[in-house]
Amino acid sequence: MKILFVITIVLLSLSTKSQELYSQTEPASNRAIGSIGLRVDNSIMDETYTSKTNYHLIPEIMFGISKKLLVNGGLFFSNRTDVFRGEGGSLYAKYRFLSNDAVQKHFRMAGFSRISYNNSDIHQEEISLYGHNSGVEFGIVATQLLRKVAVSSSVSFLKATDNGRGNKFFYGKDKSKAVNYTLSVGKLMLPKAYRDYRQTNINLMLEVLSQVNMGSGKYFVDVAHSVQFIFNSQGRLDIGYRKELSTTLLRTAPNGAFVRLEYNFFNAF
Amino acid sequence: MKALFILFAITVSMATKAQVTKVYLQASGLTCSMCSNAINKALKTLDFVDKVDEDVKNYTFEISFKPNTQIDFDKIKNKVENAGFSVSRFVAAVQFYNVQVRGNGPVTIGNYTFSFVNGKQQFLNGVQQVRLLDKGFVSSKEYKHNAFSETTIAAGVYHVSLYGKL
Repeated sequence: MKILFVITIVLLSLSTKSQELYSQTEPASNRAIGSIGLRVDNSIMDETYTSKTNYHLIPEIMFGISKKLLVNGGLFFSNRTDVFRGEGGSLYAKYRFLSNDAVQKHFRMAGFSRISYNNSDIHQEEISLYGHNSGVEFGIVATQLLRKVAVSSSVSFLKATDNGRGNKFFYGKDKSKAVNYTLSVGKLMLPKAYRDYRQTNINLMLEVLSQVNMGSGKYFVDVAHSVQFIFNSQGRLDIGYRKELSTTLLRTAPNGAFVRLEYNFFNAF
Repeated sequence: MKALFILFAITVSMATKAQVTKVYLQASGLTCSMCSNAINKALKTLDFVDKVDEDVKNYTFEISFKPNTQIDFDKIKNKVENAGFSVSRFVAAVQFYNVQVRGNGPVTIGNYTFSFVNGKQQFLNGVQQVRLLDKGFVSSKEYKHNAFSETTIAAGVYHVSLYGKL
Protein backbone atom coordinates (compact mmCIF):
# COMPACT_ATOMS: atom_id res chain seq x y z
CA MET A 1 0.00 0.00 0.00
CA LYS A 2 2.76 2.36 1.05
CA ILE A 3 4.89 1.15 -1.86
CA LEU A 4 2.12 1.96 -4.33
CA PHE A 5 1.94 5.46 -2.93
CA VAL A 6 5.71 5.94 -3.24
CA ILE A 7 5.65 4.61 -6.82
CA THR A 8 2.90 7.07 -7.62
CA ILE A 9 4.86 9.99 -6.24
CA VAL A 10 8.04 8.94 -8.05
CA LEU A 11 6.18 8.53 -11.34
CA LEU A 12 4.58 11.91 -10.82
CA SER A 13 7.92 13.59 -10.38
CA LEU A 14 9.66 11.73 -13.22
CA SER A 15 7.08 12.10 -15.88
CA THR A 16 7.17 14.94 -18.32
CA LYS A 17 4.23 16.66 -17.26
CA SER A 18 -2.05 17.48 -21.71
CA GLN A 19 -4.59 16.62 -21.26
CA GLU A 20 -6.42 15.86 -18.13
CA LEU A 21 -9.97 15.04 -19.14
CA TYR A 22 -9.42 11.43 -18.21
CA SER A 23 -11.78 8.59 -19.02
CA GLN A 24 -11.75 6.77 -15.69
CA THR A 25 -10.80 9.43 -13.17
CA GLU A 26 -11.38 13.13 -12.58
CA PRO A 27 -8.58 15.73 -12.57
CA ALA A 28 -8.10 18.38 -9.87
CA SER A 29 -9.36 21.07 -12.26
CA ASN A 30 -13.04 21.91 -12.26
CA ARG A 31 -15.64 23.18 -14.70
CA ALA A 32 -16.23 26.81 -15.68
CA ILE A 33 -18.73 28.55 -13.43
CA GLY A 34 -22.25 28.37 -14.80
CA SER A 35 -21.46 25.55 -17.22
CA ILE A 36 -23.40 22.32 -17.54
CA GLY A 37 -21.94 19.11 -18.88
CA LEU A 38 -23.96 16.11 -20.00
CA ARG A 39 -22.20 12.79 -20.07
CA VAL A 40 -23.20 9.27 -21.06
CA ASP A 41 -20.88 6.57 -19.86
CA ASN A 42 -21.29 3.14 -21.47
CA SER A 43 -19.28 0.12 -20.53
CA ILE A 44 -19.48 -3.40 -21.86
CA MET A 45 -17.79 -5.77 -19.42
CA ASP A 46 -17.12 -9.50 -19.89
CA GLU A 47 -18.10 -11.68 -16.96
CA THR A 48 -15.11 -13.75 -15.98
CA TYR A 49 -16.93 -16.94 -14.89
CA THR A 50 -19.75 -16.97 -17.46
CA SER A 51 -20.21 -16.13 -21.12
CA LYS A 52 -22.37 -13.16 -20.15
CA THR A 53 -21.64 -9.55 -21.01
CA ASN A 54 -22.70 -6.76 -18.66
CA TYR A 55 -23.78 -3.45 -20.11
CA HIS A 56 -23.63 -0.50 -17.73
CA LEU A 57 -25.16 2.83 -18.71
CA ILE A 58 -24.48 5.88 -16.53
CA PRO A 59 -25.95 9.20 -17.67
CA GLU A 60 -24.54 12.12 -15.70
CA ILE A 61 -25.10 15.85 -15.37
CA MET A 62 -22.31 18.12 -14.13
CA PHE A 63 -22.56 21.67 -12.84
CA GLY A 64 -19.84 24.30 -12.37
CA ILE A 65 -21.23 25.85 -9.19
CA SER A 66 -18.30 28.16 -8.49
CA LYS A 67 -14.79 28.41 -9.83
CA LYS A 68 -13.72 25.96 -7.17
CA LEU A 69 -16.74 23.68 -6.78
CA LEU A 70 -18.16 21.08 -9.15
CA VAL A 71 -21.22 18.97 -8.47
CA ASN A 72 -22.18 15.95 -10.49
CA GLY A 73 -25.18 13.63 -10.39
CA GLY A 74 -25.43 10.27 -12.13
CA LEU A 75 -27.87 7.39 -12.54
CA PHE A 76 -26.92 3.73 -12.76
CA PHE A 77 -28.50 1.35 -15.24
CA SER A 78 -27.34 -2.13 -16.15
CA ASN A 79 -28.43 -5.56 -17.40
CA ARG A 80 -26.25 -7.43 -14.93
CA THR A 81 -29.30 -8.92 -13.20
CA ASP A 82 -30.66 -10.31 -16.49
CA VAL A 83 -33.00 -7.44 -17.20
CA PHE A 84 -31.84 -3.95 -18.07
CA ARG A 85 -33.01 -1.71 -15.23
CA GLY A 86 -32.20 1.30 -13.08
CA GLU A 87 -30.11 0.32 -10.09
CA GLY A 88 -29.45 3.62 -8.30
CA GLY A 89 -27.44 6.79 -8.56
CA SER A 90 -24.71 8.91 -7.07
CA LEU A 91 -23.82 12.46 -6.15
CA TYR A 92 -20.25 13.63 -6.56
CA ALA A 93 -18.63 16.91 -5.50
CA LYS A 94 -15.11 18.20 -6.00
CA TYR A 95 -13.53 21.27 -4.43
CA ARG A 96 -10.30 22.71 -5.84
CA PHE A 97 -8.27 24.09 -2.97
CA LEU A 98 -4.93 24.72 -4.65
CA SER A 99 -4.14 26.22 -8.03
CA ASN A 100 -0.73 27.31 -9.26
CA ASP A 101 -1.20 28.54 -12.83
CA ALA A 102 1.42 29.59 -15.33
CA VAL A 103 1.28 29.84 -19.12
CA GLN A 104 0.53 26.34 -20.49
CA LYS A 105 0.98 24.69 -17.13
CA HIS A 106 -0.60 24.27 -13.75
CA PHE A 107 -0.41 22.31 -10.57
CA ARG A 108 -3.74 21.85 -8.84
CA MET A 109 -5.16 19.90 -5.96
CA ALA A 110 -8.73 19.10 -5.05
CA GLY A 111 -10.72 17.17 -2.49
CA PHE A 112 -13.65 15.09 -3.66
CA SER A 113 -16.41 12.92 -2.31
CA ARG A 114 -19.05 10.62 -3.68
CA ILE A 115 -22.17 9.14 -2.16
CA SER A 116 -23.82 6.29 -4.01
CA TYR A 117 -26.94 4.21 -3.78
CA ASN A 118 -27.34 0.90 -5.52
CA ASN A 119 -30.07 -1.69 -5.18
CA SER A 120 -28.47 -4.58 -7.02
CA ASP A 121 -27.12 -7.69 -5.32
CA ILE A 122 -23.60 -7.63 -3.88
CA HIS A 123 -21.63 -9.93 -6.14
CA GLN A 124 -17.93 -9.17 -5.67
CA GLU A 125 -15.35 -8.21 -3.06
CA GLU A 126 -14.27 -5.16 -5.06
CA ILE A 127 -16.00 -2.02 -3.86
CA SER A 128 -17.21 0.23 -6.69
CA LEU A 129 -19.35 3.26 -6.03
CA TYR A 130 -19.75 3.78 -9.77
CA GLY A 131 -22.55 1.35 -10.46
CA HIS A 132 -22.15 -1.54 -8.00
CA ASN A 133 -22.15 -0.60 -4.31
CA SER A 134 -23.94 1.79 -2.03
CA GLY A 135 -21.49 3.79 0.08
CA VAL A 136 -19.33 6.86 0.46
CA GLU A 137 -15.92 7.90 -0.83
CA PHE A 138 -13.56 10.74 0.15
CA GLY A 139 -10.29 11.54 -1.54
CA ILE A 140 -7.75 14.00 -2.82
CA VAL A 141 -6.38 14.43 -6.31
CA ALA A 142 -3.33 16.29 -7.60
CA THR A 143 -2.86 17.20 -11.28
CA GLN A 144 0.16 18.58 -13.03
CA LEU A 145 -0.27 19.97 -16.53
CA LEU A 146 2.74 20.84 -18.61
CA ARG A 147 2.03 21.84 -22.17
CA LYS A 148 0.79 18.70 -23.96
CA VAL A 149 0.97 16.24 -21.08
CA ALA A 150 -1.03 16.02 -17.88
CA VAL A 151 -0.37 13.65 -14.99
CA SER A 152 -2.87 13.15 -12.24
CA SER A 153 -2.93 10.99 -9.17
CA SER A 154 -5.56 10.38 -6.52
CA VAL A 155 -5.96 8.57 -3.25
CA SER A 156 -9.40 7.94 -1.81
CA PHE A 157 -11.06 6.10 1.04
CA LEU A 158 -14.20 4.07 0.34
CA LYS A 159 -16.79 2.66 2.69
CA ALA A 160 -19.39 0.29 1.32
CA THR A 161 -22.74 -0.08 3.04
CA ASP A 162 -25.52 -2.56 2.43
CA ASN A 163 -27.15 -2.14 -0.94
CA GLY A 164 -30.84 -1.36 -1.33
CA ARG A 165 -33.65 -3.90 -1.64
CA GLY A 166 -32.21 -5.84 1.31
CA ASN A 167 -28.99 -6.76 -0.48
CA LYS A 168 -26.47 -7.04 2.35
CA PHE A 169 -22.74 -6.40 2.10
CA PHE A 170 -22.07 -9.92 3.34
CA TYR A 171 -18.25 -9.99 3.29
CA GLY A 172 -18.16 -8.49 6.78
CA LYS A 173 -17.86 -4.99 8.18
CA ASP A 174 -14.05 -5.08 8.32
CA LYS A 175 -13.91 -5.76 4.57
CA SER A 176 -16.27 -2.92 3.68
CA LYS A 177 -13.46 -0.32 3.66
CA ALA A 178 -10.93 0.15 0.92
CA VAL A 179 -8.42 2.61 -0.47
CA ASN A 180 -8.27 3.47 -4.16
CA TYR A 181 -5.11 4.68 -5.86
CA THR A 182 -5.11 6.05 -9.37
CA LEU A 183 -2.47 7.39 -11.71
CA SER A 184 -3.52 8.92 -15.03
CA VAL A 185 -1.47 10.28 -17.87
CA GLY A 186 -2.90 12.10 -20.88
CA LYS A 187 -1.14 13.48 -23.93
CA LEU A 188 -2.42 15.78 -26.63
CA MET A 189 -1.50 14.16 -29.97
CA LEU A 190 -3.31 16.40 -32.44
CA PRO A 191 -3.43 19.14 -33.50
CA LYS A 192 0.26 19.88 -33.48
CA ALA A 193 -0.53 23.56 -33.24
CA TYR A 194 -3.81 25.25 -32.37
CA ARG A 195 -5.38 27.57 -34.89
CA ASP A 196 -9.04 27.69 -33.89
CA TYR A 197 -11.72 26.07 -31.75
CA ARG A 198 -13.12 23.94 -34.56
CA GLN A 199 -10.05 21.76 -34.85
CA THR A 200 -10.61 18.24 -33.54
CA ASN A 201 -8.28 17.41 -30.67
CA ILE A 202 -7.02 13.87 -30.16
CA ASN A 203 -5.72 12.81 -26.77
CA LEU A 204 -4.27 9.49 -25.67
CA MET A 205 -4.86 8.39 -22.08
CA LEU A 206 -3.26 5.75 -19.94
CA GLU A 207 -4.61 5.12 -16.47
CA VAL A 208 -3.64 2.76 -13.69
CA LEU A 209 -6.45 2.01 -11.25
CA SER A 210 -5.96 0.12 -8.06
CA GLN A 211 -7.81 -0.81 -4.88
CA VAL A 212 -6.60 -2.28 -1.61
CA ASN A 213 -9.14 -3.65 0.84
CA MET A 214 -8.38 -2.41 4.34
CA GLY A 215 -9.80 -5.49 6.06
CA SER A 216 -8.41 -8.31 3.94
CA GLY A 217 -5.39 -6.62 2.38
CA LYS A 218 -6.54 -8.00 -0.99
CA TYR A 219 -6.05 -5.78 -4.01
CA PHE A 220 -6.45 -5.32 -7.73
CA VAL A 221 -4.51 -3.34 -10.32
CA ASP A 222 -6.10 -2.42 -13.66
CA VAL A 223 -4.91 -0.48 -16.62
CA ALA A 224 -7.22 1.53 -18.88
CA HIS A 225 -6.18 3.03 -22.18
CA SER A 226 -8.31 5.25 -24.29
CA VAL A 227 -8.34 7.58 -27.22
CA GLN A 228 -10.27 10.80 -26.86
CA PHE A 229 -11.68 13.14 -29.50
CA ILE A 230 -12.71 16.67 -28.65
CA PHE A 231 -15.01 18.25 -31.22
CA ASN A 232 -15.54 21.96 -31.70
CA SER A 233 -14.05 22.56 -28.23
CA GLN A 234 -17.40 21.52 -26.78
CA GLY A 235 -18.07 17.81 -27.35
CA ARG A 236 -16.05 14.83 -26.34
CA LEU A 237 -15.85 11.12 -27.22
CA ASP A 238 -13.69 8.61 -25.34
CA ILE A 239 -13.22 5.05 -26.55
CA GLY A 240 -11.16 2.72 -24.41
CA TYR A 241 -10.54 -0.63 -22.83
CA ARG A 242 -10.00 -1.51 -19.19
CA LYS A 243 -7.99 -4.59 -18.33
CA GLU A 244 -7.14 -6.31 -15.09
CA LEU A 245 -3.43 -6.72 -14.58
CA SER A 246 -3.44 -8.43 -11.23
CA THR A 247 -5.99 -9.24 -8.52
CA THR A 248 -6.47 -11.10 -5.28
CA LEU A 249 -9.95 -9.63 -4.82
CA LEU A 250 -12.95 -11.52 -6.18
CA ARG A 251 -14.29 -9.58 -9.15
CA THR A 252 -16.98 -10.67 -11.59
CA ALA A 253 -16.35 -8.56 -14.70
CA PRO A 254 -13.16 -6.49 -14.56
CA ASN A 255 -12.36 -6.44 -18.29
CA GLY A 256 -14.23 -4.55 -20.91
CA ALA A 257 -14.61 -1.69 -23.32
CA PHE A 258 -16.07 1.72 -22.61
CA VAL A 259 -17.44 4.56 -24.68
CA ARG A 260 -18.06 7.91 -23.06
CA LEU A 261 -19.83 10.84 -24.69
CA GLU A 262 -19.88 14.33 -23.24
CA TYR A 263 -21.23 17.71 -24.28
CA ASN A 264 -20.67 21.04 -22.56
CA PHE A 265 -22.95 24.05 -22.38
CA PHE A 266 -21.05 27.14 -21.29
CA ASN A 267 -22.78 30.01 -19.43
CA ALA A 268 -25.88 27.86 -19.00
CA PHE A 269 -26.94 29.32 -15.66
CA MET B 1 -16.39 77.06 -4.37
CA LYS B 2 -14.49 78.34 -7.37
CA ALA B 3 -11.54 76.12 -6.49
CA LEU B 4 -13.88 73.15 -6.23
CA PHE B 5 -15.34 73.99 -9.61
CA ILE B 6 -11.89 74.18 -11.16
CA LEU B 7 -10.90 70.87 -9.56
CA PHE B 8 -14.07 69.32 -10.90
CA ALA B 9 -13.40 70.74 -14.33
CA ILE B 10 -9.85 69.37 -14.30
CA THR B 11 -11.00 65.93 -13.20
CA VAL B 12 -13.62 65.83 -15.92
CA SER B 13 -11.19 67.03 -18.54
CA MET B 14 -8.55 64.50 -17.46
CA ALA B 15 -11.09 61.77 -17.50
CA THR B 16 -12.14 62.57 -21.01
CA LYS B 17 -8.58 62.94 -22.25
CA ALA B 18 -8.04 59.21 -22.47
CA GLN B 19 -10.06 56.20 -23.38
CA VAL B 20 -9.62 52.43 -23.23
CA THR B 21 -9.96 51.02 -26.74
CA LYS B 22 -9.01 47.38 -26.29
CA VAL B 23 -7.77 44.83 -23.80
CA TYR B 24 -5.30 42.08 -24.62
CA LEU B 25 -5.11 39.35 -22.06
CA GLN B 26 -3.19 36.16 -21.77
CA ALA B 27 -4.69 33.33 -19.74
CA SER B 28 -2.65 30.76 -17.87
CA GLY B 29 -3.22 27.31 -16.49
CA LEU B 30 -4.50 25.73 -19.69
CA THR B 31 -3.47 24.07 -22.91
CA CYS B 32 -6.64 22.47 -24.27
CA SER B 33 -8.88 24.28 -26.70
CA MET B 34 -11.98 23.36 -24.63
CA CYS B 35 -10.52 25.36 -21.75
CA SER B 36 -9.76 28.30 -23.99
CA ASN B 37 -13.29 28.13 -25.40
CA ALA B 38 -14.69 28.32 -21.87
CA ILE B 39 -12.81 31.58 -21.28
CA ASN B 40 -13.87 32.98 -24.65
CA LYS B 41 -17.56 32.25 -24.00
CA ALA B 42 -17.34 33.68 -20.49
CA LEU B 43 -15.80 36.95 -21.73
CA LYS B 44 -18.57 37.33 -24.31
CA THR B 45 -21.22 37.42 -21.58
CA LEU B 46 -19.95 40.82 -20.32
CA ASP B 47 -22.39 43.52 -21.38
CA PHE B 48 -19.65 46.01 -22.36
CA VAL B 49 -17.77 43.49 -24.51
CA ASP B 50 -18.39 43.76 -28.23
CA LYS B 51 -16.04 41.15 -29.63
CA VAL B 52 -13.45 38.61 -28.50
CA ASP B 53 -10.77 37.55 -30.96
CA GLU B 54 -8.78 34.61 -29.69
CA ASP B 55 -5.34 33.47 -30.55
CA VAL B 56 -5.75 29.82 -29.49
CA LYS B 57 -2.09 29.07 -30.02
CA ASN B 58 -0.86 31.73 -27.62
CA TYR B 59 -3.78 31.66 -25.17
CA THR B 60 -4.40 35.34 -25.76
CA PHE B 61 -7.68 37.17 -26.22
CA GLU B 62 -8.18 40.53 -27.90
CA ILE B 63 -11.25 42.14 -26.39
CA SER B 64 -13.10 45.00 -28.16
CA PHE B 65 -15.73 47.07 -26.41
CA LYS B 66 -19.10 48.54 -27.23
CA PRO B 67 -19.00 52.31 -27.57
CA ASN B 68 -20.03 54.45 -24.60
CA THR B 69 -19.99 51.64 -22.08
CA GLN B 70 -18.29 51.37 -18.72
CA ILE B 71 -15.34 49.00 -19.06
CA ASP B 72 -14.61 47.07 -15.91
CA PHE B 73 -11.18 45.43 -15.69
CA ASP B 74 -12.08 43.48 -12.56
CA LYS B 75 -15.09 41.92 -14.25
CA ILE B 76 -12.89 40.81 -17.16
CA LYS B 77 -10.37 39.24 -14.80
CA ASN B 78 -13.11 37.56 -12.78
CA LYS B 79 -14.55 35.93 -15.91
CA VAL B 80 -11.22 34.25 -16.58
CA GLU B 81 -10.93 33.10 -12.98
CA ASN B 82 -14.51 31.83 -12.91
CA ALA B 83 -13.78 29.73 -15.97
CA GLY B 84 -11.15 28.08 -13.76
CA PHE B 85 -7.99 29.80 -14.99
CA SER B 86 -5.76 32.79 -14.28
CA VAL B 87 -4.69 35.96 -16.03
CA SER B 88 -0.97 36.14 -16.63
CA ARG B 89 -0.87 39.33 -18.70
CA PHE B 90 -3.44 42.11 -18.95
CA VAL B 91 -2.71 44.97 -21.33
CA ALA B 92 -5.14 47.82 -22.03
CA ALA B 93 -4.77 49.86 -25.18
CA VAL B 94 -5.50 53.42 -24.15
CA GLN B 95 -5.98 56.42 -26.41
CA PHE B 96 -4.31 59.37 -24.74
CA TYR B 97 -4.79 63.01 -25.66
CA ASN B 98 -1.89 64.90 -24.14
CA VAL B 99 -2.11 63.40 -20.67
CA GLN B 100 0.63 64.37 -18.30
CA VAL B 101 2.36 61.68 -16.27
CA ARG B 102 4.39 62.86 -13.33
CA GLY B 103 6.44 60.13 -11.67
CA ASN B 104 4.05 57.62 -10.18
CA GLY B 105 1.43 60.29 -9.57
CA PRO B 106 -2.11 59.23 -10.31
CA VAL B 107 -3.67 59.66 -13.76
CA THR B 108 -7.44 59.28 -14.03
CA ILE B 109 -8.89 57.55 -17.03
CA GLY B 110 -12.62 57.10 -17.06
CA ASN B 111 -13.53 55.64 -13.68
CA TYR B 112 -10.02 54.33 -13.09
CA THR B 113 -6.91 55.88 -11.68
CA PHE B 114 -3.56 54.62 -12.89
CA SER B 115 -0.31 54.89 -11.04
CA PHE B 116 2.58 54.53 -13.48
CA VAL B 117 5.32 52.60 -11.69
CA ASN B 118 7.98 53.29 -14.27
CA GLY B 119 6.57 56.70 -14.98
CA LYS B 120 8.88 59.44 -15.98
CA GLN B 121 7.81 62.98 -16.52
CA GLN B 122 6.08 62.96 -19.91
CA PHE B 123 2.97 63.73 -21.92
CA LEU B 124 1.18 60.69 -23.33
CA ASN B 125 -0.37 60.88 -26.77
CA GLY B 126 -1.90 58.41 -29.19
CA VAL B 127 -2.67 54.78 -28.39
CA GLN B 128 -0.39 53.40 -25.69
CA GLN B 129 -0.37 49.94 -24.21
CA VAL B 130 -0.69 49.99 -20.47
CA ARG B 131 -0.03 46.80 -18.53
CA LEU B 132 -1.77 46.22 -15.22
CA LEU B 133 0.47 44.95 -12.45
CA ASP B 134 -1.89 44.30 -9.57
CA LYS B 135 -2.99 41.00 -8.07
CA GLY B 136 -4.89 38.80 -10.51
CA PHE B 137 -3.63 40.73 -13.55
CA VAL B 138 -0.16 39.20 -13.56
CA SER B 139 1.11 35.73 -12.65
CA SER B 140 1.21 35.03 -8.93
CA LYS B 141 4.99 34.83 -9.17
CA GLU B 142 5.24 38.29 -10.67
CA TYR B 143 2.72 39.63 -8.18
CA LYS B 144 4.82 38.40 -5.29
CA HIS B 145 7.80 40.06 -6.86
CA ASN B 146 5.96 43.38 -7.29
CA ALA B 147 4.22 43.19 -3.93
CA PHE B 148 1.77 46.05 -4.38
CA SER B 149 -0.77 46.62 -1.69
CA GLU B 150 -4.23 45.26 -2.46
CA THR B 151 -5.89 48.24 -0.83
CA THR B 152 -5.17 50.49 -3.78
CA ILE B 153 -7.31 48.36 -6.10
CA ALA B 154 -10.25 48.75 -3.77
CA ALA B 155 -9.81 52.50 -4.14
CA GLY B 156 -9.86 52.10 -7.93
CA VAL B 157 -6.13 52.77 -8.32
CA TYR B 158 -4.23 50.38 -10.59
CA HIS B 159 -0.48 50.03 -10.74
CA VAL B 160 0.52 50.03 -14.38
CA SER B 161 3.55 50.18 -16.58
CA LEU B 162 3.82 51.44 -20.13
CA TYR B 163 4.03 48.45 -22.43
CA GLY B 164 5.14 50.26 -25.57
CA LYS B 165 3.22 52.03 -28.27
CA LEU B 166 0.93 50.15 -30.66
